[in-house]
Amino acid sequence: MDIGELKKQSDISYDIAVAKRNALEKTHARLVVVYNEHIFRADVETINLVKTLSEALTSPLYVLDTNNNPVEISEPKEFLKKLIERNQEAISSYHQMSKTFEKRGD
Amino acid sequence: MTKGVLLFCFDTPDFQYHKILEKCVALIKKNLRLQITVVTDFETFKNIKPLGFVHYKFIEPELGNKKHGLEWRNVDRHMAYELSPYDTTLVMDIDYFPFTDNLSQFLDTGYDFLISKDAHDLTNRNSFDTKRSSMIDMVWATVFVFKKGKKAKRIFNMVKYVKDYYAYFLDLYRIRDRRFRNDYAFAIALEQANGMITYDTMPMKLPTLPPDCRVLQMDEQGLAWQYNDQVNYTREQDVHVLNKEVANV
Repeated sequence: MDIGELKKQSDISYDIAVAKRNALEKTHARLVVVYNEHIFRADVETINLVKTLSEALTSPLYVLDTNNNPVEISEPKEFLKKLIERNQEAISSYHQMSKTFEKRGD
Repeated sequence: MTKGVLLFCFDTPDFQYHKILEKCVALIKKNLRLQITVVTDFETFKNIKPLGFVHYKFIEPELGNKKHGLEWRNVDRHMAYELSPYDTTLVMDIDYFPFTDNLSQFLDTGYDFLISKDAHDLTNRNSFDTKRSSMIDMVWATVFVFKKGKKAKRIFNMVKYVKDYYAYFLDLYRIRDRRFRNDYAFAIALEQANGMITYDTMPMKLPTLPPDCRVLQMDEQGLAWQYNDQVNYTREQDVHVLNKEVANV
């Protein structure tokens, strides 16, 4: 492989790395969800916490929002549904984008 | 409860900011679907093409601030509380292009004032994570949300106070940049108004294109840019564009 081809591959790898980082940041922004006038992240930690609490306790539940303020959740199932929907919307979009990265790298 | 977006737009001898406003308003209407009020002056207003249902408020911008030796009409942001006709207001720079509806949900929180502390460099150079010399966290006044009431009023009163004694506060917090920047004024005011401890923020990094990136193309889905010999693009992701030549794209 000549140096020109290596340079070309390096440029492509750089472009893909930038695009991937931006796509991840886009996903993080999309994971932010407002519920009951408070802000949450629809991430693994929040989903697992709400699912575990809702299985172990009777409602209402109490969780912290992104600013560490306590929030009463009177409808845990509704909240969990919203978290899961937003999580999968964001991650599936990231998944679609990652397919385009693979094509660019081929 | 009324909700809407407040934008500030003043042309200068060097830049036709109204062209950037036109792009921003189109995206707000498409993605955020909120009422819009533009704070401007008559000279700029005459240049703005018809934008449909948009409210205008006319003021004479305070002059005197400069950026890289050029006129920079950015000093009037402290008047947002008085100028906004809405109960809950999203204040945005006109060069922040909302390609998503992500921001609209922040108008439905119980918080009185929300602002972001972080920016994401879309060129992956982390150019906004520079070593901090000041004694307080900085904020990005590019995008913030406030709900009219005692707490928000107190914060804006503090911004006015900081503006009046700006040089003193720069020295107090060891901020080296001597230009008036809303980012610093709001950071100082929030620190002061919240008892020098902490305040509520939006948990998102503002996706930002540094000023050395040239926007090549822009449509209603996203934009492409060039940095050195690298070309990249993003779609369905909000973008704060710092290169004002975006007006001509």
